[in-house]
Amino acid sequence: MPTGLDHDLLATLLAHALRRGGDYADVFFEHRTAQSFRLQDGRIHEAGLSVVRGVGIRVIAGERAGYAHSDDLSPVALRRAAGVASLIAQAGSTAGDVADLRSRAAPPLYRPAAEASPAGAYVDLLARADVAARAFDPRIAAVNAFVSDETQFVQIATSTGEIVTDLRPLVALGVQTVAQHGAQRANGYCADGGRTAPAIYAVKTPESIAIESARIATTNLDARETPAGEMPVVVGAGGGGVLLHEAVGHGLESDFNRQGTSLYSGRVGERVASELVTIFDDGNLAEERGSVAVDDEGTPGAHKVLIENGILRGYMQDRLNAKLMGVASTGSGRRQSFRVMPHPRMCNTYMPSGTSTFEEIIGSVERGIYATSFAGGQVEISKGDFVFMVAEGYLIENGKITAPVRGATLIGNGPDAMTKVVAVGNDGRLANRSYTCGKGGQMVPVGVGMPTVKLASCTVGGSSVGARG
Amino acid sequence: MQLDDSTRADARDQALALAAHAVACAVEHGASGAEATLTINDRFGAEARGGELTKLEQSRTRSLTMRTFAGQRRATMASTDLTHDGIRALAKRIVAAAAFVGEDRHAGLPESVGAADDDTALEMVAADVAAREPQAKIDDVLELERAIRRADARIDNSRGSHTADSQATIALVNSLGFRGAYRMTSVSRSTSPVARDGDTLRIGSYGTAARGYTGLESVAAVARQAAKRALDLCGAHRPATLRVPVIFERDVAGAVLGDLFNAVNAANVAVSNSYLADAVGETIGSKLVTIVDDGRLPGGLGTSPFDAEGTPTRMTTVFERGVLKSFLYDTYYARRLGAQSTGNASGGGIGVNNFYLYAGDQSLDEIIAATPRGVLVYDTIGFATEYASGTYSRGARGMWIENGELAYPVDQFTIASNFRAMLAGIDAVADDLRFDSGIVAPSFRVAEMTISGD
Repeated sequence: MPTGLDHDLLATLLAHALRRGGDYADVFFEHRTAQSFRLQDGRIHEAGLSVVRGVGIRVIAGERAGYAHSDDLSPVALRRAAGVASLIAQAGSTAGDVADLRSRAAPPLYRPAAEASPAGAYVDLLARADVAARAFDPRIAAVNAFVSDETQFVQIATSTGEIVTDLRPLVALGVQTVAQHGAQRANGYCADGGRTAPAIYAVKTPESIAIESARIATTNLDARETPAGEMPVVVGAGGGGVLLHEAVGHGLESDFNRQGTSLYSGRVGERVASELVTIFDDGNLAEERGSVAVDDEGTPGAHKVLIENGILRGYMQDRLNAKLMGVASTGSGRRQSFRVMPHPRMCNTYMPSGTSTFEEIIGSVERGIYATSFAGGQVEISKGDFVFMVAEGYLIENGKITAPVRGATLIGNGPDAMTKVVAVGNDGRLANRSYTCGKGGQMVPVGVGMPTVKLASCTVGGSSVGARG
Repeated sequence: MQLDDSTRADARDQALALAAHAVACAVEHGASGAEATLTINDRFGAEARGGELTKLEQSRTRSLTMRTFAGQRRATMASTDLTHDGIRALAKRIVAAAAFVGEDRHAGLPESVGAADDDTALEMVAADVAAREPQAKIDDVLELERAIRRADARIDNSRGSHTADSQATIALVNSLGFRGAYRMTSVSRSTSPVARDGDTLRIGSYGTAARGYTGLESVAAVARQAAKRALDLCGAHRPATLRVPVIFERDVAGAVLGDLFNAVNAANVAVSNSYLADAVGETIGSKLVTIVDDGRLPGGLGTSPFDAEGTPTRMTTVFERGVLKSFLYDTYYARRLGAQSTGNASGGGIGVNNFYLYAGDQSLDEIIAATPRGVLVYDTIGFATEYASGTYSRGARGMWIENGELAYPVDQFTIASNFRAMLAGIDAVADDLRFDSGIVAPSFRVAEMTISGD
């Protein structure tokens, strides 16, 4: 296991970074190793190894941030990086203070592997996935699968006197299938994993992941065109949580709110959603993909109440924005790697269970769409407009789920959709651990979750214009 | 302000030496073939918001990627640990990992070993990037912030204005004797004003990119276009659900081409994950659809002398007057599908060089004027996942067109079709092609798509 930088060197770098002035400085050391295997055409197509190792040094002066990074760990190179970061401070300022450094390890939150798995074990997982997907249906024409196992060691030293270390495991196994019948093709995808050891695949078997992928592909192969227009939409438990992440979560990240460019800016304490809506973001869920025992600024991960019974309670904060807004960081400062500055991000975002049964919710819809999961989504933060690609969707007709539909998208406005939540199921759960969020070009692993939720109406984008056209 | 600039000159030698070391380590540990790419990139970035410089970043980014072969078993590695010992240790591990890969008769280095040719004609390096002072770049972003606020009283906030530049050296060495390196520069500037529209905020984003500063659109032009995008959408509402012609404005037209690339990427074709698999020779698009990938376009942002495997880049015609002529290949998928590499190996897979739709001879205004009723799309949200089926569905915003004129702004609707129908339905292409990305297109019109709104 890597040990990080020497404490005297860290103290020297922090002092050097603040020598021209500034309120705060931090040094982020990262050593991440990963291995992966890919299967294609029934055989292991490629093996991969990666190492991400380097140091990022940041200086904050008011609203200004200076940053430099180095993959060269020599004291000379790191001192040069600290010097570049220090340039952000206003000329003529006095040097900033560095407190005495004390070190601590992050509290245990993950389930790291007791020992490294042999490569053959990963290869076997993929072979089992391939066999299971093909056996599911003869129309499965292609199976692509991957498994990856990563360990990220981080060491964060701050001018406020902390040195924090965290060792984060992350495994993922994903199966993409293509079903083909004549000229018609359709995709399925399923993945699972978490901040845990590969031993998880003894429980979440590669067969179960492969079969779920193949089931979605063949369902979509049989699907009909999606009717377009405004209609009630039931969003499925678990994977439906992508809706919360996109439609609400990004708008509650503190950078946009501090700048006054989010539609949720300045609205803490106000009603922003139906009273059925409560949304949490939690960095502390054991083994979940989006969890962080400490964030990438050394702040402990936390359970945050974002919206409670429809009332906006708070934002997700990193250090810079928290300080400018006069509040504490919520442990939401995350980054893709040592090469980029941290910014406020979600961890695991979810809605707790309500009281309706699944049958009551479906039964209440005369004509609409049941979207069990999404292939992805995107939001425009200032106004809150979102779009979601439905990975698996069905028509609801006269209170019953009928035919599968393909190519459906949901489009709407986040705050507007949250006022249209008219039923929340008693079946809340976290989705499979397979989501990665992109913001400002930085990708970080996240988790989502939700019970079955009914939106009174939402615009469904399809390719066939229905009776209303 | 002084930023350290002392170590740039040695980048080419350092990159070639480290790449050669990596290949030697892999061979020493038993690899039958190896190919290493070493990138050294000196990057500068600045952000301003309001009257303040808010971010300043400068670093040298170095990274190594290597493919190794144990006979016909392939394994890859990527690392930022560029110490000699670090490279040696990882090379040993990757050669060992290759033993677990299935034998694949198509796997291997490219046969041809040519020396890298002189690349000055490709115009990849602009001298003004190294010459420009950091303070001038900072002044640019501060002026962008002032200019968007001067444009209109409704703009009093922003997501910030950004500028960035990079000076990269890329070296490629393989165990068959290929040894090549080239330099390239790139610069960009962008801004994202936020306009007040009653209780709603409207964000407009616009940016420009080129090999050098003289190739960029001016600060004033970028600010003007970004402000227009924010202001045009004020008062937007949802259109009705119906089928109408859709005009994709230049930037979003490029995004459509980006989605199309996934279907002509031989890696997707080979695994049935493309609606264009088996369609070479078929007429897919209208006569206006001529799409090429040109790796040697002088000054193009996707231009390079050779691809990630050392294969010389070239011009490939992908669609010619609507007929699908070729997919884009690297060496592996070319062997697998019985074709020749098109010089599109990139980052361990297949990527574009300069992938673009040929321009037409009408102006965008003329196309709008010739559209009795339809929608002009400024941008879309959402992304492609359905390469297999060709389904296209995106959230969109833009302007409604009535009687050949821009009537009012619209948002919160989707546009949907499938790619084959869209390509066949392209019935007008504008003359506004610009090479500010590796994937670009002029504005074009699709005769009919489904608009889902109210």
